[in-house]
Amino acid sequence: MTAPLLSIRDLVVNFHDDVSPRTLIDHVSVDLAEGEILGLVGESGSGKSLLCRAVMGLLPSTKLSIDEGSVELSGRDLVKASSAEMLAVRGREIGMIFQNPSSHLDPVMKIGQQIAEGIRFHQGATASEAREAAIAMLAQVGFPDPKRQFNNYPHEFSGGMRQRAMIAAALSCRPKILIADEPTTALDVTIQAQILELILDLRERLGLSVIMITHDLGIVAQTCDRIAVMRHGRLVEQGEKRQILAAPKHDYTQMLIGSHPSLPAEEMTTPAAEEMTNCHKTKPLLEIDDLHVRFDVGGSFFNGGSKVVHAVKGVSLQVMPGNTIGIVGESGSGKSTLARAILGLTPLSSGHVTFDGVDLAQQPRQAVAKLRRETAMVFQDPLNALNPRMTVGETLGEVLRFHGTPSADIPGRINELLDLVHLGREFADRRPRSMSGGQCQRVGIARALAVNPRLIIADECVAALDVTIQKQIVDLFAELKERMNLTLLFIAHDLAIVRNLCERVVVMYHGEVVEEGRSADVFARPQKAYTAALIHAVPDIDPDKKLLAPKIAAPTAA
Amino acid sequence: MHRYRFVLYRPLQLLPVLFGISIITFVLVRLIPGDPARVLLGTRATPTALARIREQYGLDEPIWLQYVYFIENLARGEMGKSILYKIDVLRLIATRIEPTLMLVLTSVVLSILIALPMSAIAARRQGRLPDHAVRVISTMGIGFPPFWLALMLIIFFSVQLDLFPVSGYGDTFVDKLWHLALPSLTIALSLSAVITRSLRAAMIQSLRSDIATAARARGMPERIVFWRHVLPNSLVPTINLLAVNIGWLIGGSVVIETVFALPGMGQLLVRAIFSRDYMVVQGVAMVFACATVLVNFLADVVTVTVDPRVKL
Repeated sequence: MTAPLLSIRDLVVNFHDDVSPRTLIDHVSVDLAEGEILGLVGESGSGKSLLCRAVMGLLPSTKLSIDEGSVELSGRDLVKASSAEMLAVRGREIGMIFQNPSSHLDPVMKIGQQIAEGIRFHQGATASEAREAAIAMLAQVGFPDPKRQFNNYPHEFSGGMRQRAMIAAALSCRPKILIADEPTTALDVTIQAQILELILDLRERLGLSVIMITHDLGIVAQTCDRIAVMRHGRLVEQGEKRQILAAPKHDYTQMLIGSHPSLPAEEMTTPAAEEMTNCHKTKPLLEIDDLHVRFDVGGSFFNGGSKVVHAVKGVSLQVMPGNTIGIVGESGSGKSTLARAILGLTPLSSGHVTFDGVDLAQQPRQAVAKLRRETAMVFQDPLNALNPRMTVGETLGEVLRFHGTPSADIPGRINELLDLVHLGREFADRRPRSMSGGQCQRVGIARALAVNPRLIIADECVAALDVTIQKQIVDLFAELKERMNLTLLFIAHDLAIVRNLCERVVVMYHGEVVEEGRSADVFARPQKAYTAALIHAVPDIDPDKKLLAPKIAAPTAA
Repeated sequence: MHRYRFVLYRPLQLLPVLFGISIITFVLVRLIPGDPARVLLGTRATPTALARIREQYGLDEPIWLQYVYFIENLARGEMGKSILYKIDVLRLIATRIEPTLMLVLTSVVLSILIALPMSAIAARRQGRLPDHAVRVISTMGIGFPPFWLALMLIIFFSVQLDLFPVSGYGDTFVDKLWHLALPSLTIALSLSAVITRSLRAAMIQSLRSDIATAARARGMPERIVFWRHVLPNSLVPTINLLAVNIGWLIGGSVVIETVFALPGMGQLLVRAIFSRDYMVVQGVAMVFACATVLVNFLADVVTVTVDPRVKL
């Protein structure tokens, strides 16, 4: 083996608070070989991002410091490098891209300038030379019209293009190493596949070595050569990708692989007939008929014609009691708008939403009142959806009291609800701040259950959670579904989760239902090209199932 | 360029606003107790003389008709005759507008010149000595009443050091700036304090933002990170704060002009109020209101220029 390009040895990062220092990175040693893609895996708080910040000399707080160890890059120790030397390392030798391109690109600076900036500073190029180089870079990361797009601002691009721009800026000075911190987490699966493809392609062409930080083992399986697993600031396991995925030694790695919501192969073909028959005997709980939702965007008297965004275009859907329906689609497909329209949170433009026989369009008052009593929603960001000033008990008690539970019964009901979502009864006295994301989401679910709802709408309710927590929450839903005969509308962009939880699935694209059917059927034999592309874009944990970067064409009108 | 289209149609939208302002100032001025004719002629005037004056200035007409005349005059570029100065109010204002305009302009420029380095120093050394110093200074700037500050500055710079004139307004441009030094410093000390507080907070936030982190990760030195990324991203909230304060400043110039005996609009307004010179009071009020509207319009133009995301 040749000497590694970058060698992290026994690195220790401490947080120096007033009391005693806390160790956030604990004697981590990792090597990055030339031309290699190293997957750095772990949950939030495992220290994987912090490790890379330490390598870059960009610790996010002055209270953090590297107290032991070394980071060797071509014979130098970066830990001992002066800040002037680090300026030359960052951008020129190591480039870095981040999770959220929208917040990391400067909104008030032209995208080309942000790329040219580094070229001018590091290579002493003139303005026009830097401009030429930046345009070439934009072309290289897949901008179709780089000359013109040089002058565009970040907000004029989609999330995927913004991430491409960030990659261009990071690679503008031809660094040998690229650190990619969750580069696709904020993107849709199809865009994610394209970005991953781009990174693989750039590695080939530019001879890059890449550290890929991610929580998604599927991405690792598809792109990386080696894996390093981190937990609580320690390196748990590292080795060849196939070896670790096939035979993980450490318990934690095994759990991580076990929680990965991979799409099972197409073996499950449960008999569909019986299910269909007993469905048709009952009346649907929720019926959506040719629903349209339009928003007026901007436009004023002087500003000429206003723009109309057609978020939901003629969706029809029937939900039987006890059904679990998954609604999948990329961002902007209208799935959240559909959910809000169903609950009467967004005015309907035309069409009907009938909940248990009451039409939302014709009897809005009764319908909304009924919806508030008999439906509940679970939100994406569990922490922000809870009032930080209220304890869990107060949050649940408020809902119960509002829905007419006698005061004497409330403490008992709170305990029941906490039991249902597998939270200890002592949680009644805790506040959201002192709970983890998973625990907060359990409270969110308990709050939804407090109304004894006949319908629960969960809007991306696991998207913000770590994979192992995701699995726990999905398991909880599956269990509640069995025990309480819940009717569940589960909105997600993660196809694998929907596949595992929902009996039926609805695929949305640009406000329309592209495909609908039993999950097993849709995932095994997608009828529409769009659905197929969506399914293939999910990075599989099996490295032999190749990731396809699909060229998404608009699906033929359904 | 369509982002700047509002420059064309915004003035049209402002017409109804100005119409409303004219009604309000017109009516409010007439609610001031006292009789302008009596002020003009003194307490021993005969009733016939009073009646003649009232007739001459249209004061005997019903209020709505007076308003119609007022608007008619406005359309002809006149604002009616000042009772005290006997010339048209608009012409009167034209002779007085320059000192006030200069005062506002120099104060704002001075404020920015003080606030920008102060907030930059404070934000880049947050929590350290320079930051604390800036915070103490800006709290003091907000706390000291301008009229008192003005007197202190006069005592120190004019009386003791003999550096600047005590009061009045010069003839040549340089002489005018010379006379405006202390008045604009008085205003700038409190205005820059307000701006510094806002700008410092915005800069601290931007310094910690992802934008700054990404720029640092590209190897940009802290100097470039600050001036090219942090500063432009901190400006937008401050621009609007500045606009609101300039609006307040235009009205607030009354006190400063009185203290420093500057022959501006503020002084004119004070005298007009004491002599119940209706025409002048409503004229000056209209000009102040228009200026405030104009400043906010300019702030919008600047905001659109600084932040490409903003659409108006």
